[in-house]
Amino acid sequence: MKRRTLLGGTIAVAVLGLTTAAIGQQAPIKIGMSMAQTGGLAGGGKASLLGIEVWRDDVNARGGLLGRKVELVVYDDKSSASETPAIYSKLLDVDKVDILFAPYATVPTAPLMPLVKQRGMLLMGNFSFQVNSKVGHDMWFNNAPWGPADSWASSFLDLGQKAGGKTIALLAADQEFAQNLAKTAREVATKLGMQVVFDQAYPPSTVEFSGILRALKAAKPDIVYVASYPPDSAGILRAVNEIGIGDNVKLFGGGMVGLQFGTVMENLGSLLNGVVNYNTWLPEPQMYNDGTKAFFEAYTKRAVEAKVDPLGYYLAPYGYANGQMIEQAIKAVGSLDQKALAKYLREKTHKTIVGSITFAADGEWKETGVVQAQFRGIKDKNIEQFRSPGKQVILFPAKMKSGDLITPFEAARK
Amino acid sequence: MKRNGMYFWGGAALFLAGALLMTQVIGNQYPFFACYVILQFIVLAVAWSILGGYAGYVNFGTSAFFGVGVYTAVFLFKATGVPLAVQIAAAAAVGALMGFALGLLTLRMQGIFFSIATIAATIIIETAITNWRYVGGASGIQLQRPAVMAPFDNYVEMLFFVQAVMVVLAVAISRYIQNSWIGRGLQALKDDELAAECTGVPTLRLKLTACVISGALMCAAGAPAAMYLQYADPASAFNLNYSVSALAMSLIGGTAHWAGPVIGAILLGVTQQLLTVTISSEVNVLVLGVMLVLFVVAAPEGIVGLIRKVRSKRNEGEG
Repeated sequence: MKRRTLLGGTIAVAVLGLTTAAIGQQAPIKIGMSMAQTGGLAGGGKASLLGIEVWRDDVNARGGLLGRKVELVVYDDKSSASETPAIYSKLLDVDKVDILFAPYATVPTAPLMPLVKQRGMLLMGNFSFQVNSKVGHDMWFNNAPWGPADSWASSFLDLGQKAGGKTIALLAADQEFAQNLAKTAREVATKLGMQVVFDQAYPPSTVEFSGILRALKAAKPDIVYVASYPPDSAGILRAVNEIGIGDNVKLFGGGMVGLQFGTVMENLGSLLNGVVNYNTWLPEPQMYNDGTKAFFEAYTKRAVEAKVDPLGYYLAPYGYANGQMIEQAIKAVGSLDQKALAKYLREKTHKTIVGSITFAADGEWKETGVVQAQFRGIKDKNIEQFRSPGKQVILFPAKMKSGDLITPFEAARK
Repeated sequence: MKRNGMYFWGGAALFLAGALLMTQVIGNQYPFFACYVILQFIVLAVAWSILGGYAGYVNFGTSAFFGVGVYTAVFLFKATGVPLAVQIAAAAAVGALMGFALGLLTLRMQGIFFSIATIAATIIIETAITNWRYVGGASGIQLQRPAVMAPFDNYVEMLFFVQAVMVVLAVAISRYIQNSWIGRGLQALKDDELAAECTGVPTLRLKLTACVISGALMCAAGAPAAMYLQYADPASAFNLNYSVSALAMSLIGGTAHWAGPVIGAILLGVTQQLLTVTISSEVNVLVLGVMLVLFVVAAPEGIVGLIRKVRSKRNEGEG
């Protein structure tokens, strides 16, 4: 009995101590999220998180928001959809966070959409693809520059058509993101009056692509649209290097994930030459905005220590931009009222380090910010070369253009 | 024996009453989300143990059964919008059929070959679902939950209670098997299948029974997951993690007694949930790995085996 009294007393004192400490200073604004730190999406998740952390430190150095410090509450979702509902429920019900950021990528985000809609919470998306199209949550804002669903394929196929392409081959991984890309590519091809002469999905575990590429080559397409994931992107480029792709191919690439990551680019080296692929940020002069340079200086310094992508072009600046958007919204609204913040985000244009962002009704970018760029003059085993302009020449959009397309693909590879 | 049964059913009723009370009293959603996952793993581990523990057939295909359960529910919900109970019942039926097919496999394959075949089955089924566009294919499918039924005021609370009922069902079945002629027969064929056959144990019938029951329970456990996530994609539904966890939970708890998988699932499930929201980095994978190694080395017969050993030593000491 005595021991119990002592224990109770200790707990009471501890609780009392904690409460007084909390009252002593204003509670921080908590931003909650899950982020892949293990599993297949961990590489991207960690880089994205570092971008958000750089923003947190910047905003706290500027005195925080509403006179309160900004704190991140982050849990590992193991790259899995089955982990996120419980994590976000904890963020909302136990940690009582003020703002929610979505996890990196589509699969972990998809189960959250109905949850945040039911709870009336604002959710800042993080590089997912069309997760809101069926749910229709009016407080969802995606930081990814995809824009309208078909803009991705249309930008690439448009380039191909201008280069004289009439037929198209589709090669896509049998996974959610790649299949979404392939679907829109088929629709856009029909709209542009192009003929699909080859349409192949391959299982995600495929490592050997020479058979598929031989069949593709035999179909003699003008444009090859590839929607692949990092391991297969490398496998496909190696197979292309081995057996070639045919002289009539004018444009090759489009939706190859992985060719944006520093280590993958370093490993592939000269095999990248000639490929036209999507990207979200590149060190071309047109892509610098207010704060972009300072961000990358801070990121590069911390990337080594955090063991993440040393370049960090793909995700990290967009993580920072998510912070910037919420910062602007909170400052303008003057509170953490979810509806008011969402209204501000929906109606205004937001200046960020990745450019000006305006949202459409579905919470995606009104205009696409995805660029299509061609790899040029890449040498083997040198990651630093990707920091200089001219290595990935922007072909689309027109206002960002930093060079012209070199065709055919076989000529551009040399 | 009878007194044991009374204790068991009393405990089960108390557990269900507690679960129901929780849904009525606790307003915070998080416990239901977290406990749902733990309960789901209890059903999976108990189901795995019926074949893997009693009969000694190591099944790596838990994720195949779980995934088929998820997609049976997705298909039925999309096609007809049937209620949750029907989804679960249908998943159990499909699981039983799958279990029957798996049982026939044991005719030709034993030991490691059987285990490899179950992994192969997972890959084949996942590939088939990945190419089935009606249920979302590779892109996955988002689902909108229907209205919740009384007395629950929240769908997750209802799912939690439904899963609690399934835990009681699974444990009751497992306990019945262990204490009946089926359990003794399975035990015999686990020790030496040929000898068991020679002494008149109907090995094929027993293996088929174990496979059918185990498969039905695993699929049934997967069915509510579609509504829990409100989303299904092949990579998550057929995640190998379900197979590994179900196996690890049974091994850590002990496979010789029905309580083993329950204890293992609670221990490992709670640890996983805690680590997710505490350490939450690569370290939690390491912690689980170390835990597994420690248990395999220190308690090869699981926690139940350890308890038995301690008890028998104490009895010896007293004697």
